[in-house]
Amino acid sequence: MHRALNRIAGATAGLPQKLQRMGLIGLFIGILLVGGCRTEHPYVQNAAFTADDEITITFAGPVDAAWARDPGNFSVNEKADPDIRVGLREAVLSADGKKLTLRWAEPLNRQNSHRLVLQEISADGQSRGSADLTVAKPYSGTLLTILIGAMIIQNFVFSKYLGLCVFFGTSRKKSTAVGMGITFTTVIVFSSLLSWLLYQFVLKPFRLDYLQVVVFIGLVSLTVQGVDTILRKVNPRLFKAFGVYLVLVIANCIIIAVPLTLAQNEYDMWESLMLALGAGLGFLIALFLMSSVRERIEFANIPESYRGLPIAFIVAGLFALSFMGFSGMSLF
Amino acid sequence: MDPAYIHLALGGLALLGCIGIFFGIGLGLAAHKFAVEINPKVEAVQAVLAGGQ
Repeated sequence: MHRALNRIAGATAGLPQKLQRMGLIGLFIGILLVGGCRTEHPYVQNAAFTADDEITITFAGPVDAAWARDPGNFSVNEKADPDIRVGLREAVLSADGKKLTLRWAEPLNRQNSHRLVLQEISADGQSRGSADLTVAKPYSGTLLTILIGAMIIQNFVFSKYLGLCVFFGTSRKKSTAVGMGITFTTVIVFSSLLSWLLYQFVLKPFRLDYLQVVVFIGLVSLTVQGVDTILRKVNPRLFKAFGVYLVLVIANCIIIAVPLTLAQNEYDMWESLMLALGAGLGFLIALFLMSSVRERIEFANIPESYRGLPIAFIVAGLFALSFMGFSGMSLF
Repeated sequence: MDPAYIHLALGGLALLGCIGIFFGIGLGLAAHKFAVEINPKVEAVQAVLAGGQ
C-alpha cells in the first residue's frame, strides 16, 4: 500500500502541488466509495446482479457441489418486503467451485437492494456458517443515478416546477443566468450538507424531526450570510461576481426542497452531496437553456400581449414538455 | 396535555435556542474576523439618494 502511494507520488512529482493534493483527495474519495461495496461474510467475496433474474456469488474458495444443488439453501427477498420470497429456478456452480450463479423464478427489481440468505455454506465438507448478504447495484451507480436524476430526469425547475420566481427573474441574460446558477450551486451544496449533519446527528436522535422545516430554513440563511461575510473579505472579485444573486438564493424554494428530500429518503452523506450538486447543476442548466432562448426572443416578432413574461412562461412550458422525454429513464 | 408532548416541545425550544446561539456566535466571530472596511461616505451618499432599487 505504502509503496503504491509512493509510486503515485513519484509519478505526479512534476505536477503543481495543488493538482497533486486534489488528486490525493480524489483517490481518498474513491477508496471511500469502493469501501461502500463490501460484503458481509468472510467466505463470500462478492455478490452482484448479473441479469434481472440472476445473482452471481464469488466465494473465497471452492464450495461443495452437493450444497450448491440444494435449492433450500438459498432465499432472496427485497429488503423492504421480507414477506415476499422469490423461488429459485436453478443454481449453477462453475467448474472450479468458486462461482455460483443463482437464477430466480421471476425477475428481480435491480433498482432496490435485496437480502440474500445462504444457509450453512459448506466447503470441503465443513460448514462455514450462514451468510446474510445485501445485494445491490454498485454504490457509485446509486450516486450517479441520484446526480443525473436530480440534474436532468427529475429537474427541479422543469419537472417539479420549483424555484420559478428566481428562474424567471434571472433568466433574461445569459451572463446573469450563469452567475445565478453558479452561486446557487455553491450555496445549496454547503447548506444541504449542513442540513444533513444536523438532521442525522441532532434532529433524528432527539426525535425533533418535526422541527426540520424551521431548522433547514435557518441553515439556508446562515449559509448565505456566512458565504457573504467570508467571501467579501477572502475573494472580493468573486463576491462582486456573485453580487445580488447571493441574497436572492434565499428566495429559491429548491434550496429547502433538497434538505427535505434527503431527510425523507434517509440519504447518507455522499448521496446528499450528489442530490445537492445535481439540483444546483440542474438549475444552472435550466437557467442557461432558458436565457439562451430569451435572448433570441428579444428580437423575434411577438404579438404585443405576449411580450415579456407571458412568452417566457410559454417557453418554460415547452421546455418542461421536452424534459418529459427523460421521465422514467433509469441509469445503471 | 400529555407530559411527553410538553417534554418534546421544551426539547425543541432548547434545541432551536442552542442552534441560534451557536450559529449566532459563529456568524458574529466570522463578521469580526473577516471585517471589511467600508468608506462611511458610501453609506451617507446612498442614504441621500432616492431608494428606487
